[in-house]
Amino acid sequence: MAESLQRMHGHEWVSGTREPHYFGIRHLSPAGSYHLLALLQEVKPTALLIEGPSDAGALAAQLTSRGVVPPVAMLAYTEQLPVRTLLYPFADYSPEYQALQWAHRNGCEAQFIDLPTVVSLALSERRHAPTVAAVHAEPEKGDDEEEEAENALLVSPKPGLGTIQRDLYARIAEISGEPDYEAYWERYYEHNLEPGTYQRAIGHYSTEMRALTEKEELVLAPQESAYNEIRESYMRRKIHDAIAAGHLPEKIVVLSGAHHTSALGLQLPAMTDEELDKLPRVPAKMTLMPYSYYKLSSHSGYGAGNEAPAYFELLWQCMRQGELNKLPALYLSSVASQLRGQGTWRSTASVIEGVRLAEALASLHEGVQPTWRDLRDAATVLFGHGDFAIVAEALARIDIGTAIGSLPEGVSQTPVQDDLNRELKRLKLEKYKTLVAADLELDLRENRRVKSEEAAFIDLNRSVFLHRLSVLGIRFAHKRRIHQADATWAEHWVLQWSPEAEIETVESTLKGETIELAAAYVIHEELLACSDIAAAAKLIRQSCECGLPQIMGQATSTLQRLAVDAGNFGQIAMTVHELSVLLQYGSIRRIDTHALVPLLQQLFLRGALMLLEAAGCNDDAAAELVNAIHAMHSAAQEHYQEVDGQLWMKKLKELAARDDRNAKLSGYAFSIVLERNEAGEEECALEVSRRLSPGIPADLGAGWFEGLSMRNRYALLSRDYLWRQLDAYIQSLEAEPFKRSLVFLRRAFGTFEPREKAAIAEMMGDIWGAGAEEAGVVLQRPLNEDEKEQLDELNDYDFGDL
Amino acid sequence: MGMDQKQNVLRLSAEKLYAHELEALREADKGIKPAGWQLSPKSVLTFITGGTAGGTAITPKYIGNKRLVEMAIATLLTDRALLLIGEPGTAKSWLSENLTAAIHGDSSKVVQGTAGTSEEHVRYSWNYALLLAQGPSDQALIRSPILRAMEGGGIARFEEISRCASEVQDALISILSEKTISIPELGREVSAARGFSIIATANTRDRGVNEMSAALKRRFNIIVLPAPSSIDTEIDIVRRRVGEISASYELRASLPDDEAIRKVVTIFRELRSGLTLDGKEKVKPPSGVISTAEAISLLTGSMALAGSFGNGALNDEDIAAGLQGAIVKDDEKDGLVWKEYLENVMKKRGASWRSLYSACTDMNG
Repeated sequence: MAESLQRMHGHEWVSGTREPHYFGIRHLSPAGSYHLLALLQEVKPTALLIEGPSDAGALAAQLTSRGVVPPVAMLAYTEQLPVRTLLYPFADYSPEYQALQWAHRNGCEAQFIDLPTVVSLALSERRHAPTVAAVHAEPEKGDDEEEEAENALLVSPKPGLGTIQRDLYARIAEISGEPDYEAYWERYYEHNLEPGTYQRAIGHYSTEMRALTEKEELVLAPQESAYNEIRESYMRRKIHDAIAAGHLPEKIVVLSGAHHTSALGLQLPAMTDEELDKLPRVPAKMTLMPYSYYKLSSHSGYGAGNEAPAYFELLWQCMRQGELNKLPALYLSSVASQLRGQGTWRSTASVIEGVRLAEALASLHEGVQPTWRDLRDAATVLFGHGDFAIVAEALARIDIGTAIGSLPEGVSQTPVQDDLNRELKRLKLEKYKTLVAADLELDLRENRRVKSEEAAFIDLNRSVFLHRLSVLGIRFAHKRRIHQADATWAEHWVLQWSPEAEIETVESTLKGETIELAAAYVIHEELLACSDIAAAAKLIRQSCECGLPQIMGQATSTLQRLAVDAGNFGQIAMTVHELSVLLQYGSIRRIDTHALVPLLQQLFLRGALMLLEAAGCNDDAAAELVNAIHAMHSAAQEHYQEVDGQLWMKKLKELAARDDRNAKLSGYAFSIVLERNEAGEEECALEVSRRLSPGIPADLGAGWFEGLSMRNRYALLSRDYLWRQLDAYIQSLEAEPFKRSLVFLRRAFGTFEPREKAAIAEMMGDIWGAGAEEAGVVLQRPLNEDEKEQLDELNDYDFGDL
Repeated sequence: MGMDQKQNVLRLSAEKLYAHELEALREADKGIKPAGWQLSPKSVLTFITGGTAGGTAITPKYIGNKRLVEMAIATLLTDRALLLIGEPGTAKSWLSENLTAAIHGDSSKVVQGTAGTSEEHVRYSWNYALLLAQGPSDQALIRSPILRAMEGGGIARFEEISRCASEVQDALISILSEKTISIPELGREVSAARGFSIIATANTRDRGVNEMSAALKRRFNIIVLPAPSSIDTEIDIVRRRVGEISASYELRASLPDDEAIRKVVTIFRELRSGLTLDGKEKVKPPSGVISTAEAISLLTGSMALAGSFGNGALNDEDIAAGLQGAIVKDDEKDGLVWKEYLENVMKKRGASWRSLYSACTDMNG
């Protein structure tokens, strides 16, 4: 294959056949666009054949319609889950995009001639068969590799071949004396505006590169090699088709990645009908989507060899206006003004010196003008005073930029994309569709100062919309936690658009025609798979937040069904908590939550009955149960009219009195009893002395106290008899049990605030008759070395049974 | 200027040391020479980073980032003053001297920055005997290296600029922006001839340095010279410099073998970065700066020990003595750091490090 290609290429010009004009490019090369337009102007072709998916003809036409602002991308996606995607991004300076524009302006027929996406998606699946999982996990990955493989100047996915190519690029950079390959490329190709030279140089270059790597590719990456061959033979078929359709070969321009140019000659065999039929296919669709420069730059891992899209756009604009020499000054002054905006003052004089330095660097390399690298280095020296860190952020902003493309209404979009845009408009959220993160504070309450209902509830509707997006996994909005407990009507979101979000939106098309339907579908699917009540309760909350009452009904019945068998106290308590929150605040969301009341009652009852049984656990499990008891108790107080609060209190008292349950939980339960004033002084004193009597193992006694102190400390601090009991208890302990209990007590008091500790110290002073203040001073002085050592020894205390 | 003199000098200047290379470059040079330059910028680059010129091999003088050298040369091409900043041992002065030698052919116009440097050292002063006898005259004028460089269109070097007091630093500001020095006593003004420039060096991490003013910084193109990026580069630098120094000082000891250099550089890099080379273990760094320059002087010092008091072969005891001196500079704290390093890192390195380890442990006590 390699040999025949070589020969063909050599003979191409002398053979009798009239060949079309082949124009090889590097994708995303401004100079490629520049020279291509010159060629088109000269040849005035009747057909323009472009490397791109041949089933994207309709999209190609739309790309040229008014209102399309690059960067935009064509996205192909499989119709079945899991969704696989292929992405074809275009910047304004993409030769392919410029070619389409030219054809549109000059009434020339433009066609994509590469494999249709239904085939390339199927093939890419096979090519990456061993790494299918990876492709699933990262939808665009297949495409990245696709792009890379297409481009002779980029790195192939296979490590062996990749290393060989990387070494080649490094060698080229070294021989040319440039710091890296990109600088070489820019210097020798992007700055070269001599008519005709780009085409010849790149043609020669890629023929040589292909010859150098083709053999290795066949051995190291046979799949890549085969895939390239299939694509090229298909493209040849399409060229033949165009000639058969009546276009004169000399009036056809074929635009492809430079790597393929030498393999498109007419004498080479084209794909036959049988071969075409044999190619695998998967059902797939295509759409257009706005893209971003960030995504295009290699910083996002796309790696299409365009590290600085915004810089290249600047290059392209200067080139078009015939003022390429203005680029250094433009670039460096934008960096300087960016720096000034950040508060680092750099003068115009530094800009001038920067341009001079960059030009001196270029002259060292006999360049026409500074490359991006020269400019960056000049910025580091002049603006950063030698320190790259100072200019790094400003450079990133100028090099990559925050540009995001846009598509006018009516241009090919999936129904969900359309719906998303409609919703953004309706909810006045359009301005948040940028790459810069912005905060959005929502007040879900009705705004009574406005007239229309739409306006009165706009924040609520926004909240519903944003919740739907997060259910769909569209990373546009991120909800911040609010610590203000009583602001249940407030929500704080951070909004940031990204091309990933666009892709995720497109993927949602498979789930439903609109955002609402798709979100309902997702929750519905999760409901079917849901097997525990906590998850079901979460889905109820989600459907409430998403404003989907119907799904909420379904979720409620799912929960009911699951609740019958639920036997885990912790889960029940969490579910009760979720339901309780919904009941309290459901009205703000204008959703009827009454159907949840019986469910809450049922679960609360079960929870109350299970408390005692669940409390027989070890200390690790107890930590979680404390939260569960707290949740149950809060629900009991919030919904005292609906749930059986008396039963709950009875069970708590029972737990508080039981000696065979976890001591910490008993203590915790007792603290609730105390807090509710359900135990008198005498009863309390009795209980404390019972719990903290010398006969009780120290860890149990102290553990009980730990549980007791976990809740309302004022309730403890205001009961001095409690402290007398504790004092008496500690005094009664022998040395060994004392050490044992000290470990638990230290832990219990460790969570007390200094203010509370001071209060205890004063109280102890009163009890000991030493005077409150003196005792406070003595008790709160720092430990001396000796005492510290003794305490440290306790850390290694062997509890034996624990 | 006979051979005798050349051999008697403790240290030859770069233009003398590499005279044949410069000559070869001059002959082979086809590029355009900027005003006041004796070589084209490309040849200057070759002189610094190595290559060949008309069959003569040019040794690389600065190993590491070639791009930084390009940036330095490009700076001088634009008539801007150049400031090289870096930690000790990043070859600032070395680069400054060699650049000057290659461009101007005379690297001797140097102002050594110290706390005692005064404005006269930067501008001019007077021979007071003559001044009193004749009044202000050209004969009584003592020109600073900078003034001489201005008159002749050459490059003046300003070493350790950050050690000078700020008023002395400030004296440079007007010189750099006006490119003139006025001598009111003689009623005239010296304007710089084409080709004049200044290469200054400054140290960022040492104690006792003065912060440079923003106004002065603005008048320089500043290039930060990094510590050698890879261990192989650093070993290369150390080996090369140790070879050169021992030749000119006649140390009468054999050169350290590659293994010894690698060990010293490994220890230095690990202590400098606070991390073992494999990145697995954290190491406590000592209080002082652990520079490549010190690795070089450590090895030459050890060679001097071996040559003067030993059998001329560098053994582990000699290296251990050097390491002890280089690392434990300050106080007992560094001793502990070094001990910790010995026990936690070096001891576990196996047989090839064993004897250096015991030598170091003996020395550290």
